[in-house]
Amino acid sequence: MKTVLITGGASGIGLATARRLARTMRVVIVDRDGARANEAARALNAEGASAFAYAADVTKSDEVAAMMAQAARDAGPIHAIFCNAGVSIKQPVHKMSEADWDIMIKTHVKGVFLCAKAVLPQMCERRDGVIVSTGSDYSVCGKADGAAYAAAKTAIYSLTKSLALEFAPYGIRCNSVGPGPIETPMLLAGRTEEEWAPLRAARAERVPMGRLGRPEEVAAVVDFLISDRSSYITGQIIHPNGAQISW
Amino acid sequence: MSFSAGVKGAVLVTGAASGIGFHTTQMLLGEGYRVVACDLAPGRLAEIDNPALHFDALDVRDRAALKASVAGAEARGHAIEGLVACAGIITRTPFLELDEETFDRHLDINLKGAFLACQAVLSPMRRQGRGSIVLFSSTIARSGSIKGGHYAASKGGVLGLARSLALETAREGVRVNVVSPGVTDTPMPRGHASDEEVYAKAAKVPLGRIGQPEDMAQAVLFLLSDDSSYVTGQDLRVSGGAGLF
Repeated sequence: MKTVLITGGASGIGLATARRLARTMRVVIVDRDGARANEAARALNAEGASAFAYAADVTKSDEVAAMMAQAARDAGPIHAIFCNAGVSIKQPVHKMSEADWDIMIKTHVKGVFLCAKAVLPQMCERRDGVIVSTGSDYSVCGKADGAAYAAAKTAIYSLTKSLALEFAPYGIRCNSVGPGPIETPMLLAGRTEEEWAPLRAARAERVPMGRLGRPEEVAAVVDFLISDRSSYITGQIIHPNGAQISW
Repeated sequence: MSFSAGVKGAVLVTGAASGIGFHTTQMLLGEGYRVVACDLAPGRLAEIDNPALHFDALDVRDRAALKASVAGAEARGHAIEGLVACAGIITRTPFLELDEETFDRHLDINLKGAFLACQAVLSPMRRQGRGSIVLFSSTIARSGSIKGGHYAASKGGVLGLARSLALETAREGVRVNVVSPGVTDTPMPRGHASDEEVYAKAAKVPLGRIGQPEDMAQAVLFLLSDDSSYVTGQDLRVSGGAGLF
């Protein structure tokens, strides 16, 4: 059984992907929130999966390196990594603090850099590996009141394309998944179901398909990109987005 | 709320007698799909003995024949839920030597053929409230190609067609996506290149090999399946990392 490591794996798209991949792979759930990561792994193990949990902040190189080494010791060689940790801070550019900007760029872009850097040596050695990063529709277009998010997500996709070119000679594939509006805790942004209900319909109305996506629909795309079904696909981004943008 | 579940019923494949169309047909049959295979002549399809395969001889420029093929499937009790439009041609001609007839022929088969196939399957898909359409473009649609302006134009047109149709049918349960292969190990590039020249193109592909028709068929299967239920209007480039934009 091959091992996949998922950052931001304790909630939303990361958790849905962990659930999906746990059917066929050993799953390592990494999250800033160690307690939630443990809980997610425990739930999967209760269903017969083989799941591990670690706490790590993807912006901190020492934490990432230590976690990666420990995960490889506990769960075996890491065949695939899903770099999915993310945060959302929405502000018009002129109101955005430098600190918030740094959090956005560090969590998304530096997070992918540090995780890729930590896992690539073992992938190169085995000449086997798959990297999938979480981009967004905003990896390929702009977003009002979301400049930091769009900059971060576009950077993630650029980084992923460059990794694809650099590590193709080792047989390592690198792709992004670029979700549109997916009903996750990030989209709800702390709103209660009551507050969210009227907004849901309005947001769904703006999607050509007329509905929001489910985290499981993103997980299915990540599964495809990690599997051998996509063995000739690298440097690409697939958008589960209900046609919100076409690329 | 619209449903965009994967295809379980019959799939109509154009250009099914060779290359990517043939391998896609084989893989679809292997996965348990019923296939209505269309091409000018049966070609390699004659090798397949499977009751789930039905062959219709037709030219994708023939609107009536496409409609008849879809109606025939319905009459046999197999509503078309998937379309894989592979039929296409390529010749290489320097731009100033490109005659109108060659230009028209590429646009007619590669682009209008896809348009007519979409029209033929759309009515039953709309009635069923479900369907998945996969059109074939090419990495050349974005990159352009020396001596290939006519081919690039036809394949760029496919992208525009697919995106527009995706928007138009998004709420009707019909998804429309594109697969864009890079150089693939099929008869098509052999029309203007030797075996050696075709395989030599691997040197320019980051993953170090040219595509196999099975690579494209896997992408088609993904786009027909439930796994892509929220994916529509997209272009999936199956190119080994060549031509990244």
